[in-house]
Amino acid sequence: MSAMLQQPTAPGPTATGRRGSLFRAEVHRFTARRFIQVLVGLAVLGWLGAVAIGLSTFREPTDADVSAARAAMEQAIADEQMWREECLTEAERAGDNPEVFCGPPLDASQWRVEDFIGVEPFDLASAAGAGAMAFAAGAAVLAFLIGATWIGAEWSSRSIVALLFWVPSRLKVMGTKIGVLVAATALLGVVAQAAWLAMGFILRSFVGTSTPLPDDFWTELLPAQGRSVLLTVLAGVIGFGLANLIRNTGAALGVGFVYFAIVENALRIYDITLERWLLSTNAVALVFPGGIRLYDYEAMTANMSEPPYYLVTNLQGGLVVGAFAVVIVGVGVLLFARRDIH
Amino acid sequence: MPAVEMVGVTKTYRRRGGQPFRALDSLDMTVDTGGVHGLLGPNGSGKTTSIRALLGLVRPDAGVGQIRLLDRPVPDELPQLIGDVGALVETPLFFPAFSGRRNLELLAQTAGVPGTRVEECLELVDLRDRAGDRFKGYSLGMKQRLGIAAALLKSPRLLILDEPSNGLDPAGIRDIRELVRRLGRDGRTTVLVSSHLLAEIQHVCDSVTILVRGRRIASGPVASVLSRAGTNDTRVAVPDPATAAALLAAAGFSVSPSPDGQILVHGAASPGEITRVLAQHGHYVEELVRVTPDLEEAFLALTGNQA
Ligand SMILES: Nc1ncnc2c1ncn2[C@@H]1O[C@H](COP(=O)(O)OP(=O)(O)O)[C@@H](O)[C@H]1O
Ligand SMILES: [Mg+2]
Repeated sequence: MSAMLQQPTAPGPTATGRRGSLFRAEVHRFTARRFIQVLVGLAVLGWLGAVAIGLSTFREPTDADVSAARAAMEQAIADEQMWREECLTEAERAGDNPEVFCGPPLDASQWRVEDFIGVEPFDLASAAGAGAMAFAAGAAVLAFLIGATWIGAEWSSRSIVALLFWVPSRLKVMGTKIGVLVAATALLGVVAQAAWLAMGFILRSFVGTSTPLPDDFWTELLPAQGRSVLLTVLAGVIGFGLANLIRNTGAALGVGFVYFAIVENALRIYDITLERWLLSTNAVALVFPGGIRLYDYEAMTANMSEPPYYLVTNLQGGLVVGAFAVVIVGVGVLLFARRDIH
Repeated sequence: MPAVEMVGVTKTYRRRGGQPFRALDSLDMTVDTGGVHGLLGPNGSGKTTSIRALLGLVRPDAGVGQIRLLDRPVPDELPQLIGDVGALVETPLFFPAFSGRRNLELLAQTAGVPGTRVEECLELVDLRDRAGDRFKGYSLGMKQRLGIAAALLKSPRLLILDEPSNGLDPAGIRDIRELVRRLGRDGRTTVLVSSHLLAEIQHVCDSVTILVRGRRIASGPVASVLSRAGTNDTRVAVPDPATAAALLAAAGFSVSPSPDGQILVHGAASPGEITRVLAQHGHYVEELVRVTPDLEEAFLALTGNQA
């Protein structure tokens, strides 16, 4: 131990005179976390991979593609005709009516070369919605993992307890951690949707159709993307809440898996009308444009053109997922605020 | 103004399925400002629980007792006073994947402690060389030292260390004791240090509170309190204890039988004198040891079994 034992000669910083920032420290703690860095790194790699795959699968068909397709179509027509000849011979031998047995003769003029072209250009207008959903799902899973590890690791190292020696208000400690998570997952949600747009426009400009985007392209897409950001935040908060209640990241992920893989399916089997209250249903309904319809095929009668359905609106989806997040986090925070800490 | 004041604090743990357990039983404690104050008690006597109560981590039973730190009520005014209190409770709690330095930096940032102070504190506990390594790779002693460094970061007016030498090697223990003593003498820091080791308290503390089963059984300056607690007994083993005891009594020693059938000599200034007296009469000592009493036994003796 060194001889440098002097405390500062000036009076030490006093509680009132300090200008510390719990929020900034927590942001640093968040960004320094290796697991979070790895998750984000994997997401970036995944995006690069998806772009690369997109660039290599989509393209405007070349002359060679067209002639290959024409050859394939002619081959198919020839095969078809040969098969029919054989069929007719067979039918005649068996005494069946050949036209009935082998079907009508094929009309080669109905066949289109386009149907034989294996490659197509990327069509942003038709892919935008599905892509936004896929990116929302990915971001939500990522946010859930991040939320769970963010607080789960605090509990397994119990460093959150040490933090109470510095910030004794437990609500403030938890509130700040949740605040950092909400900010980070909102950013993640925005970046994910921006990444999808970037990917979409990259594919469109290199391997896409040049048909102009429809007028309602943005009016449909942007609100769905906004709701995707909300879903990302809620998923992060639910992961946080679960790991905070269980006080362990791994166990929280286990519970999440069991819920989605087993509990929800069991509930569906038990009573299909419960479907509308399940977390996964409502999460999808939150982001899907116009919500989702749950058809009741069993209640369909002959004079209906469509089975009756229950509409899970965007609003219901948001409220159910939001309520779930608030309850699961609220219970954990309340227990943390009131219980003894060892 | 006392640095720590606890009056009639009771804490009952409700264990799942078991009997409720009273860990603190109307505990009183006063720590005057300045110097090193020891909190001495056997394992399970409630040292950690009382420190947790001081820091607002456990809530004492409702409606009883009061706690003040640096003249402010706990837990109500903890946010205002926590900047002046540094603490290490039981084991240091840090993030395992971060380096020692980063762990301290994050804490410093929450409270606006300058970065230079982090280096000072690392130096203080002799961890500068290893400060860049991950916490999880530290030895027990290094972890403990980092915990002390964290407690010192705020340049606290009140430093609370719960069994700080646990798990340290003898050199480490000596360093910690040295550090605690010096802090206690710097004129602005009050140190409250808990231990289950009588010797440790004797070495570093000016005053002491002794805890048994959640109650204070003695307190005051170390010299006066511990002179009553420490025994001065010598256990003497000889082939014929009865005769030997009579001889020693005749020579002026205060003697009683020991629990294992041998002899206990009370207050013998020099064990050599015992050997001499016995040898003169042809009794040869097989074993002669200063009895270091079990701490709880000593406490019970000290308090006439009132605990
Ligand atoms: N969380 C808890 N739940 C139940 N009993 C506890 C808990 N913490 C401590 N105790 C009990 O309270 C008593 C005092 O513990 P503690 O304050 O840790 O003692 P010390 O620090 O002096 O060894 C012990 O008997 C211990 O078993
Ligand atoms: Mg203890």
